[in-house]
Amino acid sequence: METYLWITSVWGVYLGIAVFVLGMGLRIYQWATTPKSPVRLGMFPKPATKSGRFFKMLKDTLIAPHSAKIEPKMWIFAMIFHVAALAAFVGHLRILGEYPILPELLGGEHAMNTFAAYAGSIAGTLMLVGVIFWIVRRTFGPYKNLSVPEDYLLLFLLFGVIIMGDHLRFVYGGFIHADTYQEWFRSLLAFKPMFPEKLLSGNVGWSLGTHMLFTDLFLIYFPFSKLVHTIGSFAANYVRSE
Amino acid sequence: MSDETKVDLELDLKGLLCPLPMVKVSQNINNVPVGGIIRAVATDPGAMADIPAWAQSTGNEVVSADKQGSEFVFLVKRVK
Amino acid sequence: MEKVQLETLTGVIDKKMNRQLKQYIDICARCAICKDACHQYVGTGDFKYLPARRAELIRQIYKRYFDKAGRFMPALYEAREPDDNLLDELYDSTYACTGCRRCMYYCPFSIDTAWILSVAKAILIAAGRGNEMLGQLADAAIFKGDNAAMFEGVMLSGFDDISEEVRAITGDPEHRVHVNKEGADVLYVALAGAHSIRPAAVIFEEAGENWTISMFEAANYGFFYGDTEKARLITKRYIDEAKRLGVKEIVVPECGHAYRVAEFFYEAWSKEPMPFKVTHILEKVDDYIKSGRITVDKGLIEGKVTYHDPCQLGRNGGKFEQPRDIVKAVTDNFVDLTPNRAEQWCCGGGGGIVAMEEFKDVRLKSGAKKVEQLKASGASVLACPCENCRLQIEELNEVHELGMEIWQVIDLVVAAMPLPGNQKGAEATE
Ligand code: HEM
Ligand code: SF4
Ligand code: SF4
Repeated sequence: METYLWITSVWGVYLGIAVFVLGMGLRIYQWATTPKSPVRLGMFPKPATKSGRFFKMLKDTLIAPHSAKIEPKMWIFAMIFHVAALAAFVGHLRILGEYPILPELLGGEHAMNTFAAYAGSIAGTLMLVGVIFWIVRRTFGPYKNLSVPEDYLLLFLLFGVIIMGDHLRFVYGGFIHADTYQEWFRSLLAFKPMFPEKLLSGNVGWSLGTHMLFTDLFLIYFPFSKLVHTIGSFAANYVRSE
Repeated sequence: MSDETKVDLELDLKGLLCPLPMVKVSQNINNVPVGGIIRAVATDPGAMADIPAWAQSTGNEVVSADKQGSEFVFLVKRVK
Repeated sequence: MEKVQLETLTGVIDKKMNRQLKQYIDICARCAICKDACHQYVGTGDFKYLPARRAELIRQIYKRYFDKAGRFMPALYEAREPDDNLLDELYDSTYACTGCRRCMYYCPFSIDTAWILSVAKAILIAAGRGNEMLGQLADAAIFKGDNAAMFEGVMLSGFDDISEEVRAITGDPEHRVHVNKEGADVLYVALAGAHSIRPAAVIFEEAGENWTISMFEAANYGFFYGDTEKARLITKRYIDEAKRLGVKEIVVPECGHAYRVAEFFYEAWSKEPMPFKVTHILEKVDDYIKSGRITVDKGLIEGKVTYHDPCQLGRNGGKFEQPRDIVKAVTDNFVDLTPNRAEQWCCGGGGGIVAMEEFKDVRLKSGAKKVEQLKASGASVLACPCENCRLQIEELNEVHELGMEIWQVIDLVVAAMPLPGNQKGAEATE
């Protein structure tokens, strides 16, 4: 198990992050160095001022009001997924270090762990709901016809990340808290990788390793997939109002 | 002279607005044999420029283009 | 596919590719939110008309030859070479697209599918598969520009006839269509038919405008065909004319794409700034009415009136209110279609599709939403400031027996002007 952990949760993480950062950098570099369309592609209505257009771009990207109007069901599930993903991401920051202030506000470390358990459970469940909706949606009709293997691969990886994340949360969440993961993750950041005893005993290592395996693959594939919409959507929605 | 020309196809393009008269002539040109003649009657004055311009740029021939009252009568010959 | 041809096709992509297109190709989530935005997909249920699918074909070629990941793992992206199967489907889905950009309006990333299809058109043309009819229309227009002298006689005699009709409507013996008038403020670039000149001339003359008519038409089939160079040459005809006459303003007629081409595209195509402003004729008319330069009477138009936003004028041109204000100035009995303005359904007649017989079936089916909207409005008169839209809606009107009257907005205005011959003006356009 220790070897599995070293591959997936040390070297895999390094590789994943490196490929992700370089890949995204390359993608942005490619976009930035390709000349802009000489033709104005904006559509109406559009704000007259630059700041107006900027805020419209933010609104169009983060809330997608037009999409909500035409496909409300899809919009709700997409919102559920993306907001939950954002929440999960913020939650994961705890493995870098404890939040300032929040534990005191909640009344101590124990309360903080309880809060994290609830918040994480909710976010993890919602993400799962969103991803299952998307997977099912791609099994029939025009959605299936439009899908290419890339779409299923991404959803599969994502499903793996989430299922294993939820597994860690629901099975081991009661007695392994952020401080344990913190020890491991900070050792990675310090380039002195190690695993705390708690992760090596019992079966939690297999679960963590698998969560990380999916995560590594997800990170590696991310920059070469349609998920570059995380950045591109802002640019493209700005063009809409230009 | 145009009265004696043998007409292979009659097209009634009255009421059509430009560029549709020209579109119809173009769509029908392959329905007559090479050397064959289409007689087209249009009411949109724009056709007076459109049809000859189309013929010139596609290598066909407008044998005659006459204004008769409020109608424009074309004899178009398929060249190739 | 032969190497030489393949190189030609990929060369086209290379040349056309720019930042926006690259991003559109890279980021589409294939979520299909755009599917119900497209009147053609909704009207036919045919997968090839799903907007993202149309763009997907370009994505497949792009990934195959230009994207490292796509070259490394083509199967993952269904990346493939532009073989006959692909080009056949591409031809159908590209030339059918009306360029309404309703899909872009609803896409969470605002992906401009119609713009991606401009690459598709360039590829098809390079493969010798450009639409023949649109190509011929474009070539005829260019020929007219190159041989203007050849057509001058016919044009002038046509303008003379129209001048007479104008005088019959306004009752003013001085009124006429001005030709080649140096020092005019306004160059009105009409369509080839008299119907777009006569009412405009009545309005300009009544408003006391210092105007002159262009010898060329504003329609641009080079744009529909997808050849930027042809499109540029066609528009250049009247831009050069405007420069020669020294006008201050170019006014384009009730034709959607003509406005978009003049206002949004020509500068980019010609790489030079335009020395005059481009105005849509309805902006002018709205201004004449509001400033009292022409008078319109409410009550001369009978029945409930509704208004269709042509995509190129509304969503893509930004002129939502002026045409409505005009219609509301000539009748108290106005009702809007639902949805309207930026969300207006495309009628199905744009992009040159009315000139392409082979798309007649999808064109008529794609009008289903428009028919629904028109029926629901309960109106008996439709004001519609775009030639292509009118051709399509008139056909829908017949096929579905809607019994509506389809009017140009300027005809409606002339009919509402207290002029001795305005009845004639109205009848003549029917
Ligand atoms: C803030 C801008 C973002 C917008 C507007 C946006 C929008 C969308 C939309 C509309 C979809 C389509 C759903 C579908 O595939 O059916 C989608 C899918 C997805 N997005 Fe985002 N997204 C954003 C940011 C992100 C971020 C930051 C992530 C990071 C994890 C992300 C991950 C995904 C994933 C994994 C999918 C599923 C793709 C699939 O269906 O295969 N998105 N997004
Ligand atoms: S709505 Fe936009 S992102 Fe979604 S499939 Fe259509 S073009 Fe792609
Ligand atoms: S631009 Fe209009 S016709 Fe073309 S794909 Fe989009 S919605 Fe359909």
